[in-house]
Amino acid sequence: METIELTTISKEVLVNASQETAFKVFTEKIHSWWPKSHHIGTNPLVESVLEGSKDGRWFSRHEDGSIANVGHVLVWDPFGRLVLAWQVDGNFHYDPNLITEIEVQFIPEGPASTRVKLEHRDLQKLMGGKKIIADMDGGWGMIMNLYKEVADAA
Amino acid sequence: MSALRKHEIAFHALGDPTRRAIFEKLERGPLSVAHIAKGMSVTRPAVSQHLKVLREAKLISMDRDGTRSIYRIDPEGLKVIHTWLDRFWDEALYNFSQLAEATEKSKHKK
Repeated sequence: METIELTTISKEVLVNASQETAFKVFTEKIHSWWPKSHHIGTNPLVESVLEGSKDGRWFSRHEDGSIANVGHVLVWDPFGRLVLAWQVDGNFHYDPNLITEIEVQFIPEGPASTRVKLEHRDLQKLMGGKKIIADMDGGWGMIMNLYKEVADAA
Repeated sequence: MSALRKHEIAFHALGDPTRRAIFEKLERGPLSVAHIAKGMSVTRPAVSQHLKVLREAKLISMDRDGTRSIYRIDPEGLKVIHTWLDRFWDEALYNFSQLAEATEKSKHKK
């Protein structure tokens, strides 16, 4: 059934960087590459943080001092593999009961060449999970507009 | 209708607990209204109303089997959500690869 295929997103990118650099940039610099509009919490974002260890927290810090949870680290295997739990619903709210998995593999192809494979799975949970969007205009719709502005400006 | 708009509608349709419960029932296979309503705390007309919203979001579809209406999951709604996330990861990984490559370059300059 087609629905099954739609529950996973698979991406692959070949990066001109060593495996170590790729892994470190992915984890330590998540704040710099994560699309800016895509964060949770109502206040402007100061930084996104991914703690580098198993069960490490993944959260964002905001201008008013508040912290918004995004998820946590399921597998921490530097510099080859990383599995994250993304616990954010369609309304961009943290939901401890919701887990969609993001698995990232860093496969070395040369001293400065790494194939990065990303899989975001269990999307059916995102769709059938609890507390998915209740307010179209204030929630996802607003984020979509912000996202578009950023994309257009880029 | 733009892809973005469709996506909002799909998420919105699943924003209601009763509609999610209906959707989850149908994930196990096609059902008639009577079977969907069975065991649910809402009235039959309410179930029909929810089915209508889910159909409009293209999350489910309906076929006639004689006099009965059979509802099933329509991959179209999931496709819209999938497409949106797919684009999100394209942008995220593009940003990431640019930064990783710049970082690698600056390392060799030192």
